[in-house]
Amino acid sequence: MAPQTPAVVMDNGTGYSKLGFAGNDSPSFVFPTAIATKGAATGGSGGSGSGRPAVANKPSYLTGGAGPGGHLSMKRGTEDLDFFIGDEALAAAAGPGYGIHYPIRHGQIENWDHMERFWSNSIFKYLRVEPEDHHFLLTEPTQPLNPPENRENTAEIFFESFNCAGLYIAVQAVLALAASWTSSKVQDRSLTGTVIDSGEGVTHVIPVAEGYVIGSSIKSIPIAGRDITYFVQSLLRDRGEPDSSLKTAERIKEEFCYVSPDIVKEFSRFDREPDRFAKYPVKYPNGKSVTVDVGYERFLAPEIFFNPEIYSSDFLTPLPTIVDTVIQTSPIDVRRGLYKNIVLSGGSTLYKDFGRRLQRDIRHLVDARIKASEVRSGGAKSGGLDVQVITHKRQRHGPWFGGSLLGQTPEFRSYCHTKAEYDEVGPSIVRRFALLGGPGST
Amino acid sequence: MSQSLRPYLQAVRASLTAALALSNFASQTSERHNVPEIEAASSPEVLLNPLTVARNDNEKVLVEPSINSVRISIKIKQADEIEHILVHKFTRFLTQRAEAFFILRRKPIKGYDISFLITNYHTEEMLKHKLVDFIIEFMEEVDKEVSEMKLFLNARARFVAESFLTPFD
Amino acid sequence: MLLLDYQNVLIESLLKDRFTPGAAPVSIDQVVSDFDGVTFHISTQEGKTKILVSIAVKCFPELVKYGAQSVLEREYGPYIVAPEQGYDFSLQIDLDNLPDEQARDDLIRRISLLKRNAMAAPFESAFDEFEALREEASKYTSESAPQGIREGGEVRAIHYREEEAIYIKASHDRVTVIFSTIFRDETDRVFGKVFLQEFVDARRRAIQNAPQVLFKNEAPLELQGIPGVKSGKADIGYITFVLFPRHLQRQRREDVISHIQTFRDYFHYHIKASKAYIHSRMRRRTADFLQVLRRARPESEEKAERKTASGRTFKVQA
Repeated sequence: MAPQTPAVVMDNGTGYSKLGFAGNDSPSFVFPTAIATKGAATGGSGGSGSGRPAVANKPSYLTGGAGPGGHLSMKRGTEDLDFFIGDEALAAAAGPGYGIHYPIRHGQIENWDHMERFWSNSIFKYLRVEPEDHHFLLTEPTQPLNPPENRENTAEIFFESFNCAGLYIAVQAVLALAASWTSSKVQDRSLTGTVIDSGEGVTHVIPVAEGYVIGSSIKSIPIAGRDITYFVQSLLRDRGEPDSSLKTAERIKEEFCYVSPDIVKEFSRFDREPDRFAKYPVKYPNGKSVTVDVGYERFLAPEIFFNPEIYSSDFLTPLPTIVDTVIQTSPIDVRRGLYKNIVLSGGSTLYKDFGRRLQRDIRHLVDARIKASEVRSGGAKSGGLDVQVITHKRQRHGPWFGGSLLGQTPEFRSYCHTKAEYDEVGPSIVRRFALLGGPGST
Repeated sequence: MSQSLRPYLQAVRASLTAALALSNFASQTSERHNVPEIEAASSPEVLLNPLTVARNDNEKVLVEPSINSVRISIKIKQADEIEHILVHKFTRFLTQRAEAFFILRRKPIKGYDISFLITNYHTEEMLKHKLVDFIIEFMEEVDKEVSEMKLFLNARARFVAESFLTPFD
Repeated sequence: MLLLDYQNVLIESLLKDRFTPGAAPVSIDQVVSDFDGVTFHISTQEGKTKILVSIAVKCFPELVKYGAQSVLEREYGPYIVAPEQGYDFSLQIDLDNLPDEQARDDLIRRISLLKRNAMAAPFESAFDEFEALREEASKYTSESAPQGIREGGEVRAIHYREEEAIYIKASHDRVTVIFSTIFRDETDRVFGKVFLQEFVDARRRAIQNAPQVLFKNEAPLELQGIPGVKSGKADIGYITFVLFPRHLQRQRREDVISHIQTFRDYFHYHIKASKAYIHSRMRRRTADFLQVLRRARPESEEKAERKTASGRTFKVQA
């Protein structure tokens, strides 16, 4: 047996949860952060935003007659064990009797009851570990808004309900930086850099200096994976393709899309080389199948990051400009490091040549500014500024992989807070964690 | 409600209502400070006699009044090991959220399970009789919750045991 | 979830995925844990079509002593390969050479039960011994039986966790399975006691045919003189399951062994699940208390909000 049990790494995101063991290069399980419970779903966004659990998930006997005895058979309620998570939750919710809930919204845990049960099932059914034997590395969203109370609540659950041996809570953006260490372009394992995290719902640009997020400079862009899918879908519809369902659009997005250096040239290139047009066969469960033509959307769809005006009318700033602004609003002494290490993370950064285009566009912006200031200063020469966008193999599950990387280091355990420490100090202990992988560690 | 509970709660209610006659009172020992005198305990003359209302050995309330603050400490009934654990868990859970409760003291007084600290600022902002209502309701509900949790635990244990053993049948 | 799965879900879903005809070959390299300190390594080392599944069990030498090798050979015969470095036992499946549809599902099931099968050996050997002893004992009356038959076989000890062990002892009329258990947390110890009491009572009350369950803090008689058995401490407990002949019938064996193996993790899972439930009750109750406290605030604040003619609201600055 291995001398130490591997640490459990869990990255619970708004859309998907990534679960696995440290040291592996991919998570063991990736499934939706969803839980299906008996009864109706909490509708709409926010649902029970006030932190007060929805009435539906309250077992009937919680308020019901508290009269002594008599109710014993009723009190055997086991509703709290009757639930499913992940893909099974989606399947159960499709049938009668179960309602689906998403305990995390906008990266933050909103329903702790559901989240606690989600974790319980993750640990005992999927990962199959005894939490007392393992250290846990969890992630938390990077928004500066995530209050420390959320960390404390998490610690309360992990130490009191699960008795986990040790706990470390890391910031997702910092883990995404650590994940880029596998790239050959990264020479020094620094935790300074700009993280571009684009998932399904939203894209964040987060500057990190020596492991600490510069909260005041973070910017979010309302364009992400879902918008690209919608855009592909609308192009398919405009052309009157035989199938323009969301699922088809998503598949086309994932299989065919790439980023072009220049859309005007790309258009004419398509006209010159007809084999650039692809075909995507759609098979239906009833055996029929149709073929969908795939055309300009191959390069137009990801283009909405760089020219948002082709998709949206109320958000018009291109991604490279946002990145530049974010870095320019950060403290002057870290800007060089931020330009030099722009790291991609999340599923919507996987398009071919995405990083290359981004790097070129940002460099244009930077060079133009340097030139202008050289002119203004009347003859002074600038030493130039290095802009580098890091593309690496683990981008898709960046934060999880970063966690896996840090969780397998020999010193990881000494950075965790242990159950004994928690019992001594209380939940407030998790407000502070020593910086894992930061200066001073190997 | 059992025989002795009603008079017990009534006595607590009466003593609390009487004790909650608070006024703004600046510290006499340090300039420009205004602290709850019952906590500072630096001027004995503004402290009033503490009072204990006890239902029995295991259930009692300590009311410590002073000129600008009252400290109320409650010892919650714990008949056995299980109730002891549950009370401990519950009070810890509550004090962890003391921020939201305004009047909840983060640490109980020695010998009690949970303490509240009501200052003149609280009585100025909130309705006094409603505060008393809160304390009384808290005392009622805590007992109820603990015994319900205990019932739950027993029921769950039985269910779990039977579920495990049924496949052998 | 009420009962724990016997199989490892990851192995199951991974193999199901790989076994689907037409699945693109990918390289796999995962080290995953299972309950009780078991570690699996699933990898494709000699090319993407050959999946190697290795298992490391803490108490493997003990299991071998009780015949694990033959059990595993029976279950996995042709798939067994030399154990991978650092692991105790390895299987290799060639994706280009899979059995037909029906057998494929069975193969997935069997491989996902690797841990169960590795741990099953001492149970199987004890059950066999029970049958032999019963055979033997039927020749005598209870008084005239020789010493060996009355006392039963030796105690098989499996130290499957750091501080916990399973002891199995066969007699002519029963098989006794004893779990030693330890609680590191005070809350768990108290909750555990409540749960175990119900295990003990369940048979008397509801399920007459269930195995008899006993719970003590001292080591039971069967374990007298076994090295490493501590007793008399509050945080150590011994749970004894007495399996009667009806549980030991050949056709039920497999299920009984699978099921009883999950006892420790099932038990701890439910302690944790009930703590989670108590947490959600407390959250609920806390919200109720806050509601009551909120009533103490005079309601003047809300009047500060006013509406404009167009229906927008604004706050009046105090």
